[in-house]
Amino acid sequence: MKKVFLPLIWVALLSCIPYVGVAYFGMSYIFGVVIPYLAALLFIGGFSWRIYDWLSRPVPFCITTTCGQEKSLDWIAHQKLESPATKWQAALRVMTEVLFFRSLFRNTKAELHTGPQLAYASSKWLWMGGLAFHWSLLVIGLRHARFFFMEPPLFIRLVERTDRFFELTLPAFYMTDALVLTAITFLVFRRLRDAKLRIISLQTDFFPLFLIGAIALVGMSMRYVEKVDVMAVKAQMMNLLSFSFAAPVEIGPFFYVHLFLASVLAVYFPFSKLMHAGAIFLSPTRNLANNSREKRHVNPWNKPIKFRTYAEYEDEYREKMKKAGLPVEKD
Amino acid sequence: MPSKKILIGAAAALMLLAAAYLATGAETGLVSDPASAAAPDTTGCIYPKEYMHSHHMQVLADWKEHAAHEGPDAVMTAPDGRRFQKDLATCLGCHSDNRQFCFSCHTYANVKPNCWNCHISPQDLP
Repeated sequence: MKKVFLPLIWVALLSCIPYVGVAYFGMSYIFGVVIPYLAALLFIGGFSWRIYDWLSRPVPFCITTTCGQEKSLDWIAHQKLESPATKWQAALRVMTEVLFFRSLFRNTKAELHTGPQLAYASSKWLWMGGLAFHWSLLVIGLRHARFFFMEPPLFIRLVERTDRFFELTLPAFYMTDALVLTAITFLVFRRLRDAKLRIISLQTDFFPLFLIGAIALVGMSMRYVEKVDVMAVKAQMMNLLSFSFAAPVEIGPFFYVHLFLASVLAVYFPFSKLMHAGAIFLSPTRNLANNSREKRHVNPWNKPIKFRTYAEYEDEYREKMKKAGLPVEKD
Repeated sequence: MPSKKILIGAAAALMLLAAAYLATGAETGLVSDPASAAAPDTTGCIYPKEYMHSHHMQVLADWKEHAAHEGPDAVMTAPDGRRFQKDLATCLGCHSDNRQFCFSCHTYANVKPNCWNCHISPQDLP
């Protein structure tokens, strides 16, 4: 259980650092200006470096994974998404993967029953939980645009309005807040419930879940429970976006906990499994078209092979062949 | 025919979005009677300025609930002993002096509360 509690303790410690720092030592400049800038720098630099690193790796073979009929004769139906034949179809397949987790939808589980009898069944829970988690995070991220723009784009305002559709509380309740907490709880308990999953789960699987959970909880508590002055928050975020180093005005310490944990997440991102956000676009098993029967894929680092044709051979031995009475093609 | 299903799905999604837009986007509403029984105490706000900056929405939400349950009996006693009728009109007794009082901050922070769905907004007062 060490691998579950250690990340939990880490997240708790990380949340305490800015709270103590701001509430007791007045270090709001460090946590409000210095650390966010450093985190943004590390995030952008690290992310770009990882992407550059992956992009510069050669992809010598056509190793796309497919699960459908590839493009063949005209009278055989081609499954364009399952076995893309062109770049566009492959791009569409990547996008459906990114937006709807298509391959996770096919997730199966295997169970050993008495008999012994092995049974397979469809298992959509992870797909559903993952979808709820990622989409909520996307909507929550978009909603935060109200702190970064004087007037967010219409699309984002529409998303935000839809999110507070129920108008339950006075700072209106957002449904994605409830969704994301439910999804995180499910994703954590999914790893704890099953013995097989418990064994393969690592600290690095739990840490991001706890961290994102803590960010969400602190953010929600600022909205619904322990309020902070939104005007000051917006002023500070607009400051950061305009690359100003002005000291932040008085804001409650919860804001700094939220901002610090988000900074930790940003720094952690490029060096962790969270890079699947960029990697999914670069995985050769997904983003290549299945056209190995149409196009010849040559490994770029194959050494050039020295061929010797029969014509060259005959040129060299023609006289000797004639003397021995062997037939030659050219005289 | 998957395309038919997609069309039905898209239509349903559009209707949901439109419903969300209409239900939460209405900024104007019916006019309610803003008249309050007693003239409110105008010497100072019920709580310190800093507290009201961050917590006014909570105070208003509580007041709304108490006023709905207790009607005229919903009276609050401020920390300094002054008594206030729990009514939006009590707030507006002072704060409607500046017609932009609510709106300048709400616009800046992109906050769209649903107060004015029912109450008359200071911007709409004659």
